[in-house]
Amino acid sequence: MRESYIKDTTASRIFDVFNIMLMLLLIFIMVYPFWNQLVVSLNEGADGQKGGLYWWPRVFTLQNYIYILSSKNLLRAVGVSVLRVVVGTVTCLFFSGLVAYITTIKWFSAHRVLRVVFVLSMYFSGGLIPTYLWFMKLGLLETFSVYWIPGLINAYYMMLIASYISGLPDSLAESARLDGANETKIYIRIILPMCLPVMAALAIMCAVGHWNSWFDVMIYNPSGKWNTLQMLLRDILIKSEKLQELMKDATSGSGQVKAMAQRITTNSMRAATTMVVTLPIVFVYPYFQKYFIKGISVGAVKG
Amino acid sequence: MMSNISFRRGTAFKKRFRKERELWVWTILAMIWLVIFFLIPLYGISYAFFNYVPGRKLSMEYFVGLENFRAFFKNPNWIHILRNTLIISGLNLSIGFVAPIILAFLFDELANINFKRVTQTISYLPYFVSWVVVASIMTTFLSSEGIMNEMMMKLGFTEKPIGFLTEGKYFYGIITFANIWKGIGWQTILYMSAIAGIDQELYQAGAVDGLGRFGMVWRIKLPSILPTILLIFILSTGSVLNAGFEQQLLLGQESTRDYWEVIDTYVYRYGIQLGRYSFSIAVGLMKSVIGAVLVVLTNHISRKLTDMSIL
Repeated sequence: MRESYIKDTTASRIFDVFNIMLMLLLIFIMVYPFWNQLVVSLNEGADGQKGGLYWWPRVFTLQNYIYILSSKNLLRAVGVSVLRVVVGTVTCLFFSGLVAYITTIKWFSAHRVLRVVFVLSMYFSGGLIPTYLWFMKLGLLETFSVYWIPGLINAYYMMLIASYISGLPDSLAESARLDGANETKIYIRIILPMCLPVMAALAIMCAVGHWNSWFDVMIYNPSGKWNTLQMLLRDILIKSEKLQELMKDATSGSGQVKAMAQRITTNSMRAATTMVVTLPIVFVYPYFQKYFIKGISVGAVKG
Repeated sequence: MMSNISFRRGTAFKKRFRKERELWVWTILAMIWLVIFFLIPLYGISYAFFNYVPGRKLSMEYFVGLENFRAFFKNPNWIHILRNTLIISGLNLSIGFVAPIILAFLFDELANINFKRVTQTISYLPYFVSWVVVASIMTTFLSSEGIMNEMMMKLGFTEKPIGFLTEGKYFYGIITFANIWKGIGWQTILYMSAIAGIDQELYQAGAVDGLGRFGMVWRIKLPSILPTILLIFILSTGSVLNAGFEQQLLLGQESTRDYWEVIDTYVYRYGIQLGRYSFSIAVGLMKSVIGAVLVVLTNHISRKLTDMSIL
């Protein structure tokens, strides 16, 4: 559309070339750091210390990956991360959706109160320390539960799901009700399947949040018993002794692994771990970004 | 008559309750959850006025009034912390605020739809990765053997490697760059949708008036999305005390603490690491109260100026 209003002048064409070059620079700035980490992670650690690794691995090897993936600590962290994403996302969406559904049942006496109470809870919070002290008293520290129970009902998701449900025809729920189905059953069998589009979008937001979080892991699981992958990477970044710890863990294995360990450096190892954390996101985010954008615009309208 | 009505009311109530019983069960469970995970932590804020020690029963004899709040200002550190918070926020609100607006206009000028879409998508990438990953990559790039120093030495800008992360004076620049790198693409989205919503007739009128490409941006597009820009700016100034904390905790080192310690990291350090619970709750409470006043204030200003608000 725009083209029809703009005269094709030389200045305009020069600007186009300039703009495209600027965009190529932007792409470079956004992508190159990840590419460089990939190169470092695929290069032999000892050789990488000489520097000059820019575009392509010089001494190609998969050792860094084989090595970190033979660490029991790391594999456990992968397991905890995946479990956290699955349990956290599924329970949060199920219960946020359930509360959302109840707030949309107009004949239920408390539907408005329930909504107001949860919406109010978005504007206040006890803050870091009171929450921490209370969780300590509850015995939530050093448990896996601390990752999902406190986030069971998300008021923001609840609002988005409720506004979606109010846009659905109620004839299906009504006929199920006449057939004698109870409300929980109606929610699971009828409402949830119809909410699939909004649930998919929120699931992705929620899952990425769980995958990326590390701060709550650090404060609620200080012993590292339920370390996630992000937290492990953070430990490698902040504490140099963490690497030795992981190495010990892996070098208790075969002689071959031991020999490998000598050619691995902090940098190559951190690069490989960074890639393990990042690659799942890199591969899926181009497909799910549109759901995120929808989330923003819905939030902007509703907010 | 009277008894008849109340009798009928009674059965109606019972009938209604029976119908709603299942929903009440869920509602009560949800309320219990809310009490445990929202209300009780909220109540914990009151510890700010006591000398709280875990395990010791809280009674009025440990009530200290505003002592914990005063303690914050007694330690001369508070000036550093406030300064860092305001400087880092200020950089985010100035450079970090203008950058995505400019990028949105540049995106909008791209004629090739596919190239535009690909560039936009790629610019979102850093938004989706965690701060741990960003910090890890930046540490690799900026270390003394990192690419940054390698390039600068090769090009002759410096003789010795520069300690980007170990010398405090570079910290503000590094964290601002990191914030922009991570968020710039994502922050263009609201502006892009505002630009897309501009009435086509305005362009037509502009063309009749002989506006060129730059004129279209300056005279039509920018004024048209100004309310959006203003709204976002006013609302972000409301959160000026939130300077982020993940990036500081991950990129900051002991030697550069004077440049990165902000209110949130201070609360974390004194509360969780040093166990001075009441003191850190008091500091956090001060921040929240001032923050809430700022949000209400900026929201009010926004409503006055742009007719838009979030509260």
